[in-house]
Amino acid sequence: MRLALAIASFVVLIVHGVVFYNQFFHRWEQHQTAYFEQARSLSKNDAERAELEARSPRVEQTIVTSFGDTHVDRCTTCHMAADDPRFAGHAEPLKAHPYSAAMGDVQRNGRWERRHKFSDFGCTVCHGGQGRGLENVYSHGEDEFWPEPMLGYVTQATWRKDFTPHLKGKEYMEANCAQCHTAEDFAGTPHVNRGRKLFYAMNCYGCHKIDGMSEGTLGPDLTEVGHKFKIDYLWESIVEPRANLATSFMPKFNLNDADVESLVIFLKSRRGVNFAETTLDRYKAHIANVAVVIPPGTAGEKAGEQLIADRACTACHKLRDKDGGIAPDLSYEGLIRDNAWMMDHFKNPRSRVPDSIMPTFRFPEEDFTRISSYLQTLKAPPPPAATAAAAYKELCERCHGEKGDGNGKVAWYIDPSPRDFTKAGFMNSKPRDRFVASIQNGVGGTSMPPWKNVLKDEQINGVLTYVLTTFTKEPQREVKPHKVPQQNPVASNKESIARGEGIFLERCTGCHGRKADGKGPNSLDILPHPRNLRNSWFVDTVPDNRLFDSILYGVQGTAMPSWIDYGLTQENVGDLVNFIRSINPKTARSQYARN
Amino acid sequence: MAEASKAPDKKEDVSRRRIFSWLASVGLFGSAALAAVSDWLFFKPQVTYGPSARFAIGKPDEFPPGTRISRDVERVCIVREGNRLAAISTTCTHLGCIVGISDTGFSCPCHGSRYDQDGTVTGGPAPKPLPWFKVTLAPNGELEVDKNTQVNPGTYFTV
Repeated sequence: MRLALAIASFVVLIVHGVVFYNQFFHRWEQHQTAYFEQARSLSKNDAERAELEARSPRVEQTIVTSFGDTHVDRCTTCHMAADDPRFAGHAEPLKAHPYSAAMGDVQRNGRWERRHKFSDFGCTVCHGGQGRGLENVYSHGEDEFWPEPMLGYVTQATWRKDFTPHLKGKEYMEANCAQCHTAEDFAGTPHVNRGRKLFYAMNCYGCHKIDGMSEGTLGPDLTEVGHKFKIDYLWESIVEPRANLATSFMPKFNLNDADVESLVIFLKSRRGVNFAETTLDRYKAHIANVAVVIPPGTAGEKAGEQLIADRACTACHKLRDKDGGIAPDLSYEGLIRDNAWMMDHFKNPRSRVPDSIMPTFRFPEEDFTRISSYLQTLKAPPPPAATAAAAYKELCERCHGEKGDGNGKVAWYIDPSPRDFTKAGFMNSKPRDRFVASIQNGVGGTSMPPWKNVLKDEQINGVLTYVLTTFTKEPQREVKPHKVPQQNPVASNKESIARGEGIFLERCTGCHGRKADGKGPNSLDILPHPRNLRNSWFVDTVPDNRLFDSILYGVQGTAMPSWIDYGLTQENVGDLVNFIRSINPKTARSQYARN
Repeated sequence: MAEASKAPDKKEDVSRRRIFSWLASVGLFGSAALAAVSDWLFFKPQVTYGPSARFAIGKPDEFPPGTRISRDVERVCIVREGNRLAAISTTCTHLGCIVGISDTGFSCPCHGSRYDQDGTVTGGPAPKPLPWFKVTLAPNGELEVDKNTQVNPGTYFTV
């Protein structure tokens, strides 16, 4: 028993000792001690020697913030003599970094001066590797999971050892040079330049996209390929395209090793960003890239037309023969929307159509004015359609669908969804006047625009008749008048609104949501979706009697039940209406507010 | 005979047990002591983030005689008079603002501490003069300032 205890305690002691040794006795300390000793023997005077005597081993680090992410380079902890020219002929790690005229180093008075000072550039900016590491396996990037091993020095052909000999050599470091030296003919990066030429010469650009260089879409985007993959993976992907993706249809190109090497170095230099840029530079460059150059003196409409083309509005919208298939048709915009509506909508689409998915583009105000002035010129009505069916096809089908079921090609992106004309329950329970008004004046706060300037009254009637006969099919029933007050009989005051809110929270939130934005827990399963009652542009156009009718007697063809059956009285509904009105103030509509 | 042989056996047995327990306690107490030492050593970080206290400032030619250059990143003022060079801290000894260079020496913008050319306090709330740091010449021909080592005011490095 005591023997076991003695053995166990010694095992613990040994383990402790090993851990202690590993933690507090580092190889870099030995390197530093060796450096101090050798430097002492090389010193020319006592002051230098005393200076070296006074130094003790410690972690040396350079923090470089000028090149992208902050680099913390502790390389000089071992490579102490990197900047000490007396150690030029020594062995690593105590070897002076060579000077090279090609790198821009100059000799003055018999003394070399570096162009790329280590205090400014650190080490990993050029070499790669893990600057924070203090053991070879980490600092040189030998760790398999470190994304940037020392370029051309450490290779990680973990799955294909036969590539390793190809992947060594200082020319691989050109990929890092090219992070700042981006000029196409920069003399210091011949391999990158050659790779760039090959990228075009071998038609790589036909399938692959690199931002600013090519637009191919068949193969993977290579814009950030150097950031994502190590050189061994790049090499393998070129010489054996199907090695990693069995379904790849990339051809095996006839390239010699030198070509592949140049391509790998070129691809490794594609990082999507480059070290010489800050985020602000990138943003400015991006703006410059997407900036639309308008020749001075161009009239507002002309400039607007160019802006619409260059800003790719038709990536979503339709304008004449160009159709993005996501957003409404702009072809008759001048007849549909006025200037104020457009400017509001540009600055924040949600200010006019509260559930719009259109992004808020941060173009200069001047551009919005130009686009708007161009759209205002689109005042030519469509050629008069021979039949109502043709008019429906031209103007309505995009949203309401070929079959009139509210399932047009852009319907999925439009909220509230386009009306489904096949729901006879709804179509037959509403007076014809209401449909005519909706077509003529549009529906506020939705994507349904006013058509009165596009279609003449008889055309509107024709289209409506066409819709009712073709899609709704069931003949119009006589609408039985409901007993609802014209005006809300309950005076709007604090108590009434509070009562209304109470009823709303109790009865309505399941579908209309606690925020009354039509996004309650049941709303997803319900088509058409429940109304967004914070859509002021819509709610304000609905008179009291229609609200009363919809609440008390329900909305046929939708999930809205007849609340009179659930015991709501006129007074209750009056309170509810007051509550709904109170969350849609008629004034002070901020463009940033959700409604 | 049996009795006789048993007695020394027992004695030996006891001493063996004592040796084992002695060894066990050496092992346990030794590792406890080692753990205590290493825990103690762990308190002091080997390296912290932040700019190195020892940094290169450039070649002596970059500082012609008469220079007084304030380096705000490293918070030192490089002073060169003739062929003598020194690095004076520009961190105010009062509350740590960066002092500016004025005609008479240094002045702190925060609470109006004033120092003369050598960093000696001439007015304001500063309790101590500005420290001077050691300047050395690195093997690559660049000057190095070591903010870990203070020197007496008036100690210049001769270029």
